[in-house]
Amino acid sequence: MILPVLLGVLVVAVAATPLLDRGLGRNAGWVLAGVFGTLAAVVGAQGPAVLGRGETLEFFVPWMPTIDVGLHLRLDGTSWLFAMLVLGVGALVMAYSTRYFPPGRRTGFYALMTAFAVAMLGLVLADDVVVMFVFWELTTICSFLLIGLSGESANRPAVRTFILTGLGGLALLAAVVMLMVNAGTSRLSTILAVTDWQASPGWSVAVALLVILAAFTKSAQFPFHYWLPDAMAASTPVSTYLHAATMVKAGIYLLMRFTPVFGDFPLWNVLLIGTGLVTAFIGALFALQRTDLKELLAYSTVSQLGLLVAIIGVGTPYALAAAGVHTLAHALFKASLFMLMGVVDTRNGTRDIRQLPGLWRAMPATATLMTIAALSMAGIPPLLGFVSKEAILDAMLGLPGEPWVGVLVALGAVAASALTFAYSFRMVYGAFGGTPGTAKHGEAGPSYLLAPAVTALSGLVLAFALPVLDPLVDRLVLDTTGTAHESHLALWHGFNLPLLLSAIVIGLGAVLAWQRVAVDRVLDRQLVPVQGTQVFEGAYRGVIAAGVRIGRLTASNAPAPYLAAILLTLGGTAIAVTLGRPEVPAQPEPTTRPTDWLLVALILVAVTAVVVTRSRLAAVALVGVAGFAVALWFLLLGGFDLALTQLLVEILTVVVAVLVLRRLPRTFHPTPRARRLGAGVVAVIMGVAAGLAAFSLTGRREMSPASEYFLRNAEEDTGGTNVVNTILVDFRALDTLGELTVLGVTGLIIIGVLESARLNHGRLPEKVAGFAQNVVFSARENSLIMRTVARGLGPVLALLSLYLLLRGHSAPGGGFIAALVGGAGFALAYLAAPAAARARIRLPYPRLIAAGIAVAGASGILGYLEGSFLRPLHLDIPLPGDGYYHFTTALVFDVGVYLAVIGVLLTALNRLGTEDDIHAEEPLGPWAESTDEDDPDAEDETNDEIDEGTAAEPDLASPKGGRR
Amino acid sequence: MTLALSIGILVAGGVFMLLQRGMIRIVLGFIMLSHAVNLLLMSAGVTSRRDAPLMDTADPATAADPLPQAFVLTAIVIAFAITIYMLTLAVARSDDDTEDPS
Repeated sequence: MILPVLLGVLVVAVAATPLLDRGLGRNAGWVLAGVFGTLAAVVGAQGPAVLGRGETLEFFVPWMPTIDVGLHLRLDGTSWLFAMLVLGVGALVMAYSTRYFPPGRRTGFYALMTAFAVAMLGLVLADDVVVMFVFWELTTICSFLLIGLSGESANRPAVRTFILTGLGGLALLAAVVMLMVNAGTSRLSTILAVTDWQASPGWSVAVALLVILAAFTKSAQFPFHYWLPDAMAASTPVSTYLHAATMVKAGIYLLMRFTPVFGDFPLWNVLLIGTGLVTAFIGALFALQRTDLKELLAYSTVSQLGLLVAIIGVGTPYALAAAGVHTLAHALFKASLFMLMGVVDTRNGTRDIRQLPGLWRAMPATATLMTIAALSMAGIPPLLGFVSKEAILDAMLGLPGEPWVGVLVALGAVAASALTFAYSFRMVYGAFGGTPGTAKHGEAGPSYLLAPAVTALSGLVLAFALPVLDPLVDRLVLDTTGTAHESHLALWHGFNLPLLLSAIVIGLGAVLAWQRVAVDRVLDRQLVPVQGTQVFEGAYRGVIAAGVRIGRLTASNAPAPYLAAILLTLGGTAIAVTLGRPEVPAQPEPTTRPTDWLLVALILVAVTAVVVTRSRLAAVALVGVAGFAVALWFLLLGGFDLALTQLLVEILTVVVAVLVLRRLPRTFHPTPRARRLGAGVVAVIMGVAAGLAAFSLTGRREMSPASEYFLRNAEEDTGGTNVVNTILVDFRALDTLGELTVLGVTGLIIIGVLESARLNHGRLPEKVAGFAQNVVFSARENSLIMRTVARGLGPVLALLSLYLLLRGHSAPGGGFIAALVGGAGFALAYLAAPAAARARIRLPYPRLIAAGIAVAGASGILGYLEGSFLRPLHLDIPLPGDGYYHFTTALVFDVGVYLAVIGVLLTALNRLGTEDDIHAEEPLGPWAESTDEDDPDAEDETNDEIDEGTAAEPDLASPKGGRR
Repeated sequence: MTLALSIGILVAGGVFMLLQRGMIRIVLGFIMLSHAVNLLLMSAGVTSRRDAPLMDTADPATAADPLPQAFVLTAIVIAFAITIYMLTLAVARSDDDTEDPS
């Protein structure tokens, strides 16, 4: 139970950061440090069980049991080490951040840092490759956002980092899928146990390469190493936490995790050792070139990660033991160095060693701590860095195979380590050595130095308490190699080859440090002709340019060519299939009835007329006729609800279409004969294909079991007798909720489109002006009949709509139909209004849409009371006298449907029906001006009436109401 | 047979309109296509049984297939929403021409 609690507490902490930040400002970091520290202690307390007794903590919540998806968490020794780093270093960095930043609020920073901790902890605890992948990607996203926090100049670095590590994420995804398919499960521990790289070499090469690509991008291995210095655009706490101690170790973690599978795969060994050593060497070399302390440290991290990758590549138990110790040692000394670099930076306003004076006297505490950490990095006894580096050299010498290979590999590490010694010296001497000077803001206070002091001194203390680490190392070796291992970490192993190599490292490093002037002169030039970031930018531009070029091949500004291509392909395929004469079963029962032919004829006439006419209005009306014919079809087929819905939709479509048409020319754009012919050919092909397909592929089976079930059990299951409605709101309510959301989004998009683009004026002004003197064209006079009808019909429609809503569960009706009837009422009100300004419906329609989706969603959440989302609850409410009213939350759901549909309808009426500003400003005729000024009481009355869905017009009686 | 014919006619008309110039005709083509698809969904069920599936009166042995009806009901409303959205696009900014006037 501990494992989900860890994640849960951190998630709560993320949610609490805005609050903490409001109260405490930058000091919110102390609270978070407390949380992280407590969680670290909790994980630490598992140490005896996990490391000592070799237990493994597991946690599992099933989610989709049928496809074996769930949250598997697992804490073994490897996870324990990384979890401790995430939480421990996290606590210290949070404490450090409270002093690094100037006073003020840091909401985004703290929230994202904590969110990153969630992702990183999840990554190392996940025992499910899919979950692991998700957390892996989350760390990438958090890194992107945290780098981006540093402002404009950090934008490109953030994007570059994101794309590169995201690329690795895709590789991991591919690897994860391949592993899952192969092992038949997404459980990581099972996959590791059953996967054998020897079973299928080609497959293993692919998976190993993908895993390696993911790890190399994340852990900044050559040639992807450049992103890490690039990411130094982030603030120092971010660099410390993500880009030194934890996130860049995700790749290391991944490689360790997959060592059980690939540890003795030659490709794995060669790639890891080779790339690791190259990265270690060039990283160290570049670090020795830098004058910016932060860049120097970034390259140093690259170099150290290279060393870790190389030693994991060796793959022996000793190698993994060394990798574990060095992961810890590196996290400690590198976190210290980054934080102390930040101290130097903020106290002096620069971190360039050419501009920093000798700060030894001015900042003695910082200097001491930095020296300790640097000594650990350089591999000097008695510090943890010395122990781990010697373990690495020792393990490399023990590389299986020819002895000289191991020696060669170790010599590669010696070269990188000698450079490490040199740049460690360069860093400390650059910051603190030379002519003494004063720091601009003096030495940092104890609270600022607390966190780096803890990490730096841990490296020293642990070196004298090495037996404490033995159980951790043994467990990690067992996890990663399956071999029981007895580690004896010690500062002194006697005179042996690794000690000699260590001595060579220190000697060579000392010479490089001593001859630093000459070294600087050699290195003071561009060592490689290209820079990673430039290569990246070039590739980035190239990809986009290539996409543009490919797109241009087929680009057209008109939709018809695209559509014709798609339709021809589809129709051609269908006809090709038909020519193959596929066998189809016979129809069990005749599906045609004589009356059907009437509808076929009606549709044929309507469609032919649509195709022929050039008038827009006629075309809309004729499509409406086709729609009515389809509604009749539904009725003949037994779809009562469908027919009703279709009829209402036809009416409302015509209303909306008319609102739109008056802004457009009366006739369609002319199309040349050849084009009509071409379109006709495609149309006939498609029509024949669709008709043939419908005839030969449908109506040739018995009722489906699902339909059979619904017919026989709907009433018993739901209490409703209208089976179609029960399917919508009871059985398949999630589909309906999705549909509702689509509907709501459409409404919002309409608002969005019309907010950003003004409506077309079209022929509106011209037309109205031309006929302004004719009574027939006066909106006020002309709508008299409509208004009279609407006054009576409005309330009836409102009631009918409500009635249909309530009875929908058992008789034709339901949320959709009820809302369409209500919408028709609003449409009537709109059309009957004498002027656009009066027709405007003042209901907050975007909120209606939102309320509809919220109500439907809330009724779904109620379903959890009985165990699942959207399950309807039933309640029999006793009525006075005899009998019960059967209440179900499906009705609440239907109310949500109702509200959303009404909201979308109102959106369309209001947004498309309103006049443009031009009309408001320039009254067009004697009748048009009577809208507002003439009726002082019109404003508020309109409001009420329209809300009721009626269009009664009290001002008809008004003396100033206009000419009769 | 009749249903298949209706579908064929609607698809032909819809495709023809879809390939014309101007958003309104495209929208009308889309409406006819959605009619055709709705009928196709209906025909995918059992169309030899045609009693309305209202179980207070209907017999489960003769009632029409309710599942395609539920699909179509959803489809009608979504098609309506998309229709009014496309109609909005037809009048946003300029007239509904979809091609360069040349």
